[in-house]
Amino acid sequence: MIDFLFNTTLGFFILTLLKAFALLVPLLMCVAYLTYAERKVLGAMQMRKGPNVVGPFGLFQPFADAIKMLMKETIIPSGANPVLFLLAPMLTFGLAMIAWAVIPVNDGWAIADINVGVLYLFAISSLGVYGVIISGWASNSKYPFLGALRSAAQMVSYEVSMGFVMVCVLLCVGSLNLNKIVMAQQTIWFCIPLFPMFVIFFISTLAETNRAPFDIPEGESEIVAGFFLEYSAMAFALFFLGEYANMILMASMTTILFLGGWLPPFGIPTPSWMGPIWFILKDCVVLFFFLWTRATFPRYRYDQLMRLGWKVFLPFSLFYLVLVAGVLLAFGWLPHAA
Amino acid sequence: MNWTLAIPEIVLSCCGMAILLYGVLSRGNAFFMSSMLSVGALLLTGVLVLSTDAGSGFFGLFITDAFSAYIKLTILVAAALSIVMALGYAEHANMQRFEFPVLILLCSVGMLVMASASSLMTLYMGIELMSLSIYVLAAFARDDLRSSEAGLKYFVLGALASGLLLYGISLVYGFAGSMSFDALGAALADPKKVSAGLVTGIVFIVAGLAFKISAVPFHMWTPDVYEGAPTPVTAFMGTAPKVAAMALLVRSLAGPFSDLLGQWQQLIILVSIASMLLGSLAAIGQSNIKRLMAYSSIGHMGYALIGLAAGTPAGIRGVLIYLVTYVFMNSGTFACIIAMRRRGRAVEGIADLGGLSKTDPGLALALAIFMFSMAGIPPFSGFWGKYFIFSAAVAQGMWPIAVIGVLTSVIGAYYYVRIIKVMYFDNAEPAFDARPASLSFVAAASCIFTTFFFLFPAPLVAAADAAARALLG
Amino acid sequence: MIAALAFYLFAAILIGSAVMVVTARNPVHSVLFLILGFFNAAALFLLAGAEFLAMILVIVYVGAVAVLFLFVVMMLDINFAQMREGFQRYAPVGATVGAMLLLELGIVLGGWKFAPDAANFRFAPRIAELENTAHLGQLLYTDYILLFQLSGLVLLVAMIGAIVLTLRDRGPSRRQIIARQIARKASETMVMVDAPIGTGVGAADYLHPIPEAAEKPDTHEHAHAGHGGH
Repeated sequence: MIDFLFNTTLGFFILTLLKAFALLVPLLMCVAYLTYAERKVLGAMQMRKGPNVVGPFGLFQPFADAIKMLMKETIIPSGANPVLFLLAPMLTFGLAMIAWAVIPVNDGWAIADINVGVLYLFAISSLGVYGVIISGWASNSKYPFLGALRSAAQMVSYEVSMGFVMVCVLLCVGSLNLNKIVMAQQTIWFCIPLFPMFVIFFISTLAETNRAPFDIPEGESEIVAGFFLEYSAMAFALFFLGEYANMILMASMTTILFLGGWLPPFGIPTPSWMGPIWFILKDCVVLFFFLWTRATFPRYRYDQLMRLGWKVFLPFSLFYLVLVAGVLLAFGWLPHAA
Repeated sequence: MNWTLAIPEIVLSCCGMAILLYGVLSRGNAFFMSSMLSVGALLLTGVLVLSTDAGSGFFGLFITDAFSAYIKLTILVAAALSIVMALGYAEHANMQRFEFPVLILLCSVGMLVMASASSLMTLYMGIELMSLSIYVLAAFARDDLRSSEAGLKYFVLGALASGLLLYGISLVYGFAGSMSFDALGAALADPKKVSAGLVTGIVFIVAGLAFKISAVPFHMWTPDVYEGAPTPVTAFMGTAPKVAAMALLVRSLAGPFSDLLGQWQQLIILVSIASMLLGSLAAIGQSNIKRLMAYSSIGHMGYALIGLAAGTPAGIRGVLIYLVTYVFMNSGTFACIIAMRRRGRAVEGIADLGGLSKTDPGLALALAIFMFSMAGIPPFSGFWGKYFIFSAAVAQGMWPIAVIGVLTSVIGAYYYVRIIKVMYFDNAEPAFDARPASLSFVAAASCIFTTFFFLFPAPLVAAADAAARALLG
Repeated sequence: MIAALAFYLFAAILIGSAVMVVTARNPVHSVLFLILGFFNAAALFLLAGAEFLAMILVIVYVGAVAVLFLFVVMMLDINFAQMREGFQRYAPVGATVGAMLLLELGIVLGGWKFAPDAANFRFAPRIAELENTAHLGQLLYTDYILLFQLSGLVLLVAMIGAIVLTLRDRGPSRRQIIARQIARKASETMVMVDAPIGTGVGAADYLHPIPEAAEKPDTHEHAHAGHGGH
């Protein structure tokens, strides 16, 4: 059996499928409970209880929501482009899932340990905008379209500085492989020497995932619900799941790039099976920051958002990139220095 | 790597960026100061060009020799003259902006790189840097419909030409296995190995370059773009980029492809004859002086190509001398054209020059000298340029093309002399506005060169000779 | 076997989507097919072992360029029926030119033979022990540094051009000055007044803004410097 799985082509396919299954099922559970956690955390911060009716402490609330979504009718507006209208949520959800193929949760525990892992993640996250644009356009409706346009500009803008942040990390590591990036943080997590980049990265991930305070693409007080205004039932659920899966993905990226991935803090000697636990704990901390931000900050205005991206983050991250490269070169710390 | 060979280019681009920063950060209008700084940067670069050693750098992508130095100095002078001329192009909406000299500087960087290209990739990058700047410059007067049209037209056609060029480069790379001129020369030394694909590639490269020098049949854009673009830009387009593209054509054909002379000679001869004919015939009917200059430049490029077609050091020397005389004649003529303003508005009709000899004898005399020189009438420099080229062609036994050249010169003389006739014998039109000192300076400097070249030709001829020998060995 | 199958699959989709880009009636669909084409090209790169190029293709072309394409195409209200009006009329000419080009290319390809010496001149021989990315970095930043920097200049010119040709100074408009907003203290703008319990706040002053002290927006500071001349 083992031999079949590891040595034949068909076996390889089956093995990969099994791996994907083993990753995605817990992931979807996490997504479900992230929505629960968000409501609980926001509730606590606003001095109210949050969901507490369905099941003990409201723990079954996510499933109740899911069933409700499943039962509802998928409405396709009469003026909409049905194919693209339905394609958009699938795209959003699918992209949020396939990005996970390269995320290592422990040393070597990734479905695909590829050489250009960071670029793959960056590529997938830069595709996220298509779900939004297509949904906005295919809905054939004013507010979704406005939301889509806002989102397109916003995500493209923040990707630029995100790219520079990643390049900073890559300079320190000398590889695009996610496994190597984590292993390079054995002496010190990158969030310490690259602290400003860490902050910029975190804020950019907020913008990439359309989270508060950068949730202007959906800004419910101005353009109702933005790009998913016309969606209902499962189509909406897919957007919803995709958004939360993306949050977890971005949290994982932050963990891998800056918080040492599965490595224990302060070099505490722990058995290697503890790796995923550390990883999840760090993810949870980052996610808590996501929720905390949402509870704390009012929504940015559109021009402020653009100003922040292009006039503050971009020059600063460019400057820091040059600084990092200069320091590495001056002290001879460049990896692969030949 | 030998990067020090590129110091003139590096210094010039750094100066360009510094002037850009200065312009952005300064309050008020920085046009005059940045123009002056740009002229200074060009002069500095000229000095650096003179003090750069000959050699090959950047892993064979870049070469400096007497040829590149000669071309670079010509380009720098032409660019500086254009910037000075633009100073006198007063108060046209949107023209007095600091980006103008900066773009000319960056364009010059591209042209310098073209002069030093020793690989097809460097060639392409240089051309793109140059062209992109000129596209923007052509549309610089953005509120003027004709200028925008000129920019767009030039951009679309230029992009097509770039595509042709790239296609040719890829074919040559595929069939010869290299893009560096040295390696190409070595690979093509044996004409038996030359395949149809390679020749197709060379044809495409020549087509792309012929577009840049606006030789027939790739000249369609020239009259419209010359007419529509702001006049200082037209003056610039008519001089420096032509020199750079011609230099590139010479370097690539006489360099790596020199052993394929038989393959490209007929092509160049054909283009040359077509350009001379069209340049002289189509110009006859023009009433707009900028359009006339466009056709004139097409014809002049045709003459210059004769020298290249000869394929000898003497021919190349002829081309080089011709280019320098052409730069001065053209700059001077355009300085006169920019000076054609009545009550603050530019006029471009040939008829507007009527009786200029009475209202402004100085300007009329300068323009007359340039026209005589363009027509190739001795003792002006234009005659000597043609003389060197025709004699090189005759020495190679290329009688027919030399005869065609002389005949088209005679036809061309008709419309050049017609302008002189309008200025001296027609009824006087109202006088032009007083012209700025910068225009008088450019016109006078060009006039002095054009008139007195025959007294001191030795330095230029010697330099051109050295440059031609550096290329053909 | 699988690689070959994958190649033909991706290549077929690539060509199919390329055809759809030109023939699709709706411009938005055209752009979406273009994106599909980019993806398949990236997949072909992957099959050829150029993983870095594949990722960069997706990031740059799909993630940035095509987004802006889509953005613009969605915003423009193009009447494509009108644009295609001339199509019928010019089709024969276009077809003739196309056919001639095809014929010429056929003739060229008929005489196809690689130069035997070509292999000796390979610019970028593959170094086995280097990763794809490191290898590309070596080529770009060391061997071709000149061309790399020149490309930078080309982009700079493009940027200057875009600004010169499109930026219009809106004149004395009031803009947000973040620094001034942040520097402002509550005490400068607000007056706190005690409101005793039980009496409520009087009609007049319980919390009111200080009237702005004739503070004119400093327009000159924000007018794009250097463009003052027009």
